[in-house]
Amino acid sequence: MTHFFEVISTKVGYSRIGRVLISKKPKIYGKTPNILIPIRNVLMHQLDFIEQFENHDFFVITKEIFLKISFIRDKFKKTGFIFTHTGKLERFQQILVENSDIFFEDNIISIIPFNIPTTIINKDFVHKEIENYINSAEKILKNNPNLNFGITIKIFDYPKLVNLYFPLIRNNENIKILNLADIFDNFSYFRNIIGLLGEIKTHLDNNIIIMASGRVIPKFYPILIYLGVDLIDSSYLMYLSGENFYDSIEYLLPIYKIKFLPCSCVACQGKLKNLLEDKYSSEKIDLLCLHNLISAFNYMKKIKQYISYEDFRAFVEKSSLDDTNVISILKVLDKSYFDLIRYETPIVQENKIVKCFGPSSYYRPDFQEFRVRTIENFEPEPWTRLIILLPCSAKKPYSESKSHKLFHKAIRKFSEFPHFQEFILTSPLGIIPRQLENIYPVNSYDISVTGEWDNEELNITVEMLVKILEKYNKDIPIICHLENGYLEIAKKATSKLEHNFIFSKIYGRTTSKESLQSLENLIKEQKDKYIVNESLPRKDFISKTWIRKFIKILDYQFGPGSGVKIISSGIVLKKNKASTQISLINSNKNEEIGVFKFKTGQISLNLKGIIQITQDPSSIKSNYIMFDGEEIMGNTLFRAGILNWSSDLIPNNHVIILDKKKKNIIAIGELLVGSNFIKNSKAGRIVKIYEKAQF
Amino acid sequence: MKKHNSKITYNESLTEKIFFYRQQTLKRKKKYDQEQLNKPITFWIKKERLLGEIGKEFTIILRTRGCDWALGAHGGCSMCGYIKDANIENVAPTQIKNQFDYALSNKLNEINKDTDNYVLKLFNSGSFLDEGEISENVRRYIYEKIASIGKIKEVVLESRVEYITPDKLIEIKRYLKNKYLEIGIGLEAIDDYIRNNYINKGLLFSDFKNAIQICKEHNIGVKAYLLFKPPFVNEQGAMDDCENSIKELIELKVNSISINPLNIQKGTFTEFLWFQKRYRPPWYYSLFKCLKRSLSQEDLKTVRILSDPSGAGTKRGIHNCLKRECESSAKEVLRKFVLTQDLRELDKETFDCNCKKKYKMQKSYY
Repeated sequence: MTHFFEVISTKVGYSRIGRVLISKKPKIYGKTPNILIPIRNVLMHQLDFIEQFENHDFFVITKEIFLKISFIRDKFKKTGFIFTHTGKLERFQQILVENSDIFFEDNIISIIPFNIPTTIINKDFVHKEIENYINSAEKILKNNPNLNFGITIKIFDYPKLVNLYFPLIRNNENIKILNLADIFDNFSYFRNIIGLLGEIKTHLDNNIIIMASGRVIPKFYPILIYLGVDLIDSSYLMYLSGENFYDSIEYLLPIYKIKFLPCSCVACQGKLKNLLEDKYSSEKIDLLCLHNLISAFNYMKKIKQYISYEDFRAFVEKSSLDDTNVISILKVLDKSYFDLIRYETPIVQENKIVKCFGPSSYYRPDFQEFRVRTIENFEPEPWTRLIILLPCSAKKPYSESKSHKLFHKAIRKFSEFPHFQEFILTSPLGIIPRQLENIYPVNSYDISVTGEWDNEELNITVEMLVKILEKYNKDIPIICHLENGYLEIAKKATSKLEHNFIFSKIYGRTTSKESLQSLENLIKEQKDKYIVNESLPRKDFISKTWIRKFIKILDYQFGPGSGVKIISSGIVLKKNKASTQISLINSNKNEEIGVFKFKTGQISLNLKGIIQITQDPSSIKSNYIMFDGEEIMGNTLFRAGILNWSSDLIPNNHVIILDKKKKNIIAIGELLVGSNFIKNSKAGRIVKIYEKAQF
Repeated sequence: MKKHNSKITYNESLTEKIFFYRQQTLKRKKKYDQEQLNKPITFWIKKERLLGEIGKEFTIILRTRGCDWALGAHGGCSMCGYIKDANIENVAPTQIKNQFDYALSNKLNEINKDTDNYVLKLFNSGSFLDEGEISENVRRYIYEKIASIGKIKEVVLESRVEYITPDKLIEIKRYLKNKYLEIGIGLEAIDDYIRNNYINKGLLFSDFKNAIQICKEHNIGVKAYLLFKPPFVNEQGAMDDCENSIKELIELKVNSISINPLNIQKGTFTEFLWFQKRYRPPWYYSLFKCLKRSLSQEDLKTVRILSDPSGAGTKRGIHNCLKRECESSAKEVLRKFVLTQDLRELDKETFDCNCKKKYKMQKSYY
């Protein structure tokens, strides 16, 4: 059986972009995430409906008659159809048998329905019903081994029972879609929702499409996609239209309240405005339904734009600010599921401004990843004599801001400045060592700065500051050039550390002449108080800011010690003409070993660079994949070719590809997915190879 | 006495719930006095479809101790609340005779004077053939009386299958040889799973088929009751189920099929679901659609389709939008269809209500 769905790229949270093979000849794909537009008699009578959606990728059919109407095939020939039946499973089976030739065509896949029972009594009742459904579904799947199917998962508020479905899904490879039918009906059970999706993601093939149906409204589409849903059935909007609800995305409004029609769709521009006052009008329901579907369709387009090209996490947060349950989902996911989500969320986002809205952004997975990695991988430079704590700036990287230029002017008056370690205090990221100011997300985040910090912001930053400063000798003086909330952080940290904190005097602002003078005086006073015992390796190198940065960026990316390994053999930096990247050149051999790209904030080491870091491939413990062979053909590594892998793979991170004996590095590439996906899939693209070893 | 099929698997969660609500009802129940026990629960005359003509029905509902299934450990059927009309304790044979006599003496004149032929529907909200409810002696008494009324051309009794035995059918035939006899059996659905897991009927389709066989052997007709939209079943599921059942029953050459859209009866499990908005009685539109899909005019030459829904047009019974015009139009359509057995009647709604649009948009969510 050929593949049906493949993940093209993973995004923040569980979100992902994928494509569904709609037709094999010619090859036509439908993109996910997407919505399913219902095809019903009541809608097909409207010409506007057909015109509006004729180019849409996916439709859901619930009437047998539409399987047979050639009109639909002609009009929507580049479309994927999902068929399901809204009644009994036995009737679905009959339809399947009666229309088997149609289901063997490419662009229709049927979902085995689970509509009955509509309600339940208790857990035992549910257990029995699910088992009954599974037995029936199993028979259908086994009787039609060459047909792809979707199965419906209903849990009736007992999320743990989802495990009952797992053997069925694992044992039947023709299951291509999981239709979550009642999971999203009630967002107040948000822990159930998160738990269930976590179970699915960690126990089932990640190449199966996750579909959401049931009582789902467009407002929740962003969070659903964030939770890993690929397809959303919009049929519930028909029900809401029947109840006279007008969907403005932010709110569902009863139509009688609508006075301004905040939409310019064909329905709102047409007759709908004349029918607003009409209490009983079936035409109004038609138009309302058309509007609601168009509105959902457009919202999904917006989501697709944001997930592909903008910071999708911020979009999800923005869309959920008025819904406490969705905020709770984000909070719980961020805090309790970070160990799962960190291997699903790309480590960098290119050219994106990451907006922080407040508490909902504090524990974003990419922010947390930054904090965890910085704490784990940032090791003090042994030559550090003085630590300086500075406030952040709105402009990124900080060193390009007016305030930091002034700080630098004061600090660099001293020839010993390479011995000073600057840390920038910021919310919500925490503590940024100066050397890491160019990496993601430090280079991209933006938050409103008022000088007021809330408790959570304070705690995050204090905790991180303490963890980082603990790594330093307690005799190294710490100069704090801070005011307001920043100052409060430093003061809170003093109680948890034995270090000597010295506070500069702030006159008005930290950038005022007098304040800067105070900083300068303090540096002068403190710079020789701590004597460094260690001799400096390659003094000429560490005095260069970019080399200092690269040592720490390499440590951040590849683990502590990596930076020194690269630098120790001698290095020359070369910026390109457009100033978009800096090449790292081994000065001894005069060969490029890597490139730092400003848009990603990452260093891409080539094979030579990687070999310099690793030396002995068998000792590599992280960020590797073992290829089931000696040589990779093509530029993509697929799941089928993978023998083993480290459990710390994160999408967009660089990965070393080793041969099956772990003796040679055979390629390096950029991960398209994380280790969880590799663990839970049998197919799919895993790595985009950017360099292969020449044997 | 009772001998329920041991092969039936019950849904214990449901049984427990039904039993609980049944007990609650029985606790609140008042005792009937002697006067009440000497009169039937109710009786009436109204227009009805007879085998080959439009005639009238004379319905008598006798008060007995109540359905043995409902009074048993399994709690009875999930939608049935008729136990509240029963006496729970045994009713003396003379009292049952008196009940029958009371109804008959009230309506006999009217029947004799009428030009229409009659069907006598003799119900007891249980099983007429259950010795525990109506003794052999009383049954004979009633048969004798019916036999003497010429206008009554058809007689319908109701019973669970376990009480339908060759002896009892021979006995009926002996007394009522000149009349067309039909035994109504609450099959509810041909799907064993729905019948026993959602309705808690305690009946297998195979037992029903055996009962048909016995009736046919004794030249007695079978009227199958189908429950339209049992609890736990959605609108489309109800249509699928009923369509399937009708087709199968026609194949089995059942004489009459009475379709009963579920109505919410007091003190029942379904009432509990309904209160919690977890069940909505069916829409008329669904019933009409189902009838049109499952029947052909040809079928109606061999089978009689009946439907006289209780609580029709109210929120507890089959209904559309509860608008008066909409409900009465639908009610009339159904009535005319039953009387004429003409499928075209189902397309003759006199009121084109906008709720049909709503129904079409929403039906998969009911």
